[in-house]
Amino acid sequence: MAKINKRSWAEPYKMKMVELLKVTTRPQRVKALKEAGFNTFLLKSDDVYIDLLTDSGTNAMSDQQWSAFMLGDEAYAGSKSYYKLEKAIQDFYGYKYIIPTHQGRGAENILSQILIKKGDIVPGNMYFTTTRLHQELAGGTFVDIIIDEAHDPYNEFPFKGNIDLKKLEVLVKKHGAEKIPYVCMATNVNMAGGQPISIANLKELRAYTNKHKIKVIHDMTRVAENAYFIQQREEGYKNVKIKDIVKEICSLTDGCTMSAKKDALVNIGGFMGTNDWDVFEEARNLVVVYEGLHTYGGMAGRDMEAMAVGIKESVGDHHQKARVGQVEYLGKKMEEYGIPIVKPIGGHGVFVDAKAFLPHLTQDEFPAQTLAGEIYIDSGVRTMERGVVSAGRKPNGENYYPKLELVRFTLPRRVYTQAHMDVIAESVASVYARRNKIKGLKMTYEPKYLRFFQAKFEQIK
Amino acid sequence: MSERMRTLTEPFKIKMVEPLKVTAEEYRKEALKTAKYNTFLLRAQDVFIDLLTDSGTGAMSDKQWSGIMMGDESYAGARSWEHLESVVKSLTGMEYIIPTHQGRAAERILYSIIGGPDKVFISNTHFDTTRANIEYTNAEAIDIVCKEADDVASFAPFKGNINLERLEQLIQERGPKAIAAVIMTVTNNSSGGQPVSMANMKAVRKICDKHQLMMVIDGCRIAENSYFVKHREEAYSDKSYREIAQEMLNLGDAFIMSAKKDGLVNMGGLLTLKDKELSVKCQNLLIISEGFTTYGGLSGRDMEALAIGLTEVFDGDYLNYRIKSTAYLGEKLKEKGVPVVWPIGGHAVYVDAKKLYNQIPVEEYPGQTLAVDLYIKGGIRTVEIGSVMFGKYDEQGKLIAAEQELVRLAIPRRVYTQSHIDYVLDVFDDILEMRNQKNGYKITYEPQFLRHFTSHFEPINK
Repeated sequence: MAKINKRSWAEPYKMKMVELLKVTTRPQRVKALKEAGFNTFLLKSDDVYIDLLTDSGTNAMSDQQWSAFMLGDEAYAGSKSYYKLEKAIQDFYGYKYIIPTHQGRGAENILSQILIKKGDIVPGNMYFTTTRLHQELAGGTFVDIIIDEAHDPYNEFPFKGNIDLKKLEVLVKKHGAEKIPYVCMATNVNMAGGQPISIANLKELRAYTNKHKIKVIHDMTRVAENAYFIQQREEGYKNVKIKDIVKEICSLTDGCTMSAKKDALVNIGGFMGTNDWDVFEEARNLVVVYEGLHTYGGMAGRDMEAMAVGIKESVGDHHQKARVGQVEYLGKKMEEYGIPIVKPIGGHGVFVDAKAFLPHLTQDEFPAQTLAGEIYIDSGVRTMERGVVSAGRKPNGENYYPKLELVRFTLPRRVYTQAHMDVIAESVASVYARRNKIKGLKMTYEPKYLRFFQAKFEQIK
Repeated sequence: MSERMRTLTEPFKIKMVEPLKVTAEEYRKEALKTAKYNTFLLRAQDVFIDLLTDSGTGAMSDKQWSGIMMGDESYAGARSWEHLESVVKSLTGMEYIIPTHQGRAAERILYSIIGGPDKVFISNTHFDTTRANIEYTNAEAIDIVCKEADDVASFAPFKGNINLERLEQLIQERGPKAIAAVIMTVTNNSSGGQPVSMANMKAVRKICDKHQLMMVIDGCRIAENSYFVKHREEAYSDKSYREIAQEMLNLGDAFIMSAKKDGLVNMGGLLTLKDKELSVKCQNLLIISEGFTTYGGLSGRDMEALAIGLTEVFDGDYLNYRIKSTAYLGEKLKEKGVPVVWPIGGHAVYVDAKKLYNQIPVEEYPGQTLAVDLYIKGGIRTVEIGSVMFGKYDEQGKLIAAEQELVRLAIPRRVYTQSHIDYVLDVFDDILEMRNQKNGYKITYEPQFLRHFTSHFEPINK
């Protein structure tokens, strides 16, 4: 007799358009991975069965979005689609003035140039690659002020994205508040494994920064996923709608940058928001140089339309429950198989601890890179290394040896089904079963910068 | 060049339409007042015929829309990227292909690497964003268009050519080491969309070889240029448009394209290179500011649409329609007595507002006045290319006027029918009746740079 399962969610949508996948054989995958130098970034997407490389720009749009897409107004100036986007951002996020950009890094570039002066300090809750780079290029220095718990993969603290105000206080005392143009506050901290910040923490941050006249800039690419965790975990928010939590988060900040390719359910696009007219005016002048005129900023009219609809869909309670629920489903399934994963399970992906998975490999044998390759060979599932390869080298040429040596399973939104999740978990389990036989890699080609994108490897015999 | 124009039939039919709002003159007066008399600040929905730009405003074909649906949005190694890469490789003959979200990003990446203080760029004419990107690196941008271009009213087949003598001279004066690149803009947008001949390009290549200089082709309208080469340069009359483009692009060391023009798409850009080392540097910058090397800030579907657009644009029937329909508007305007830049270029008609409104002093912006009048009279949106766009102030705050006061009527690709164009011609009858007016405009607000986009104006009533 069938047992009643604790099936907690089903997708609040059905499929309306599908994209066929190519099913490959193991010999084909062995060959493809070898040709790609054991780097999953260099695989052709055609050879991939389930693509968990990133959740950025890989979302499935809804029929409402596709329908809006067809309404895109491609006028160079004053496009109708721009006004719809502006209104959606004002309505759902509450920022007064917006500057559209082609994607998030375009907004980071402009904001950094306006707010950061040479010699400034930019504190934040953990770095992100492109964000930190733009801060540095503008003459600033990034300082990590995330709580210590964030660096421990097995600490189950519910808000590992929180900011340690004592660390901020130390910076203010050392450099003076005038050297700190803003605190860069990310909602759902990606590099910590998709971990949220709490409203309580954010309120403390707001009070402290108000006192010292420091701005709070919101890196809001996964704000709705963060809001979901607040609803589930923070006292007093159980009955508050995600829509309202998102708005509250934004109201505690002065401006934002957003890569809309994540939460906002589109394939391309981003924006910068601010409540400050002077910042807006400067941004409006700069955006023309880098991105496009301020009423399109490097986006096609149709992409602005799709984003306006996507923003609205992204703050739906049912949507987020299914979204984060699917990530949790995959994580729990892996745990059942005994796979070591980062805890608590984050909002956009599951992070497998490759050091614990392949304890017989030294970090110089690239355990996470090795594991990503083995999973691909086993099932055609593409994942990403987040370990020693991604960390790169110090200025003196030595390797950085990061504490976390992870393989990231990032879930695109609304793309894969529960059956796909099962295939993924089973594949990881089957690799886990033969983990002792797995040999490491050596690097045969290393580009000078951002080596994880293009490095090549060979199996150690 | 006096091929008689009969009815010009489009080599396509309409498959999807976008309804237009018809407005009354009183409504438009109000809208313009709200927009501070700057056509850039008008809402697109208040515009009947939008001739502001041909950039990103084209209509895609059903094949392209079908490509949009086929777009592969994978972050790395997407099918759509492979498709685009192979099309661009075969067109340019260049090995290293870098996608960008639009043309200005490609410019910024290349010129920030090869530019810098003490460097000089020489071009037939730098486009405004090109110049801005170059000057941003503290390098110098020098325009040396051919002498024929000085006379805007007379015919010459290739008024976009670079002045070869001046080029040699400048190289002698500055020394080859100081010269970062020679940039050939085809067609030459800032001088009226005029074409560049293959002979001129070959001569530039030779000079660049002699002094070991880099030759960059800024070719967002490379297909339109090929049309003029085929029909005006004898040796090429038997070659296909695509072959001509291939031959021309092969002369360059680098190719930059805003794909929003001849790529027949609404968004996209390209940078292609022959040199591996330089391409690696460009890719590093690309990842920082645009996106990973296999998408560069474009969605998969936009890459797919571009791959198809770059193939469609070289179709002979399309190019014939494109060039002749632009010429139709220009020639008819000339017949009416409207002063236009001659001959008509590929993508736009440029009206000489200084000549048309010769009672309005340049300090009161005759070009802006004409752009305003065209909108009020017919709901037609155009852009001033004159002292609003290029004017500067001297130390006393007096306007240093631009050389010309033009208004550009840019024609979006495959968007408007001949009836629309005939309507524009009718509106010019009203304009001609107003040619003796004396009242221009003054600027009431302007930002620090690129002021034409956001300035505010007020009418002067004498």
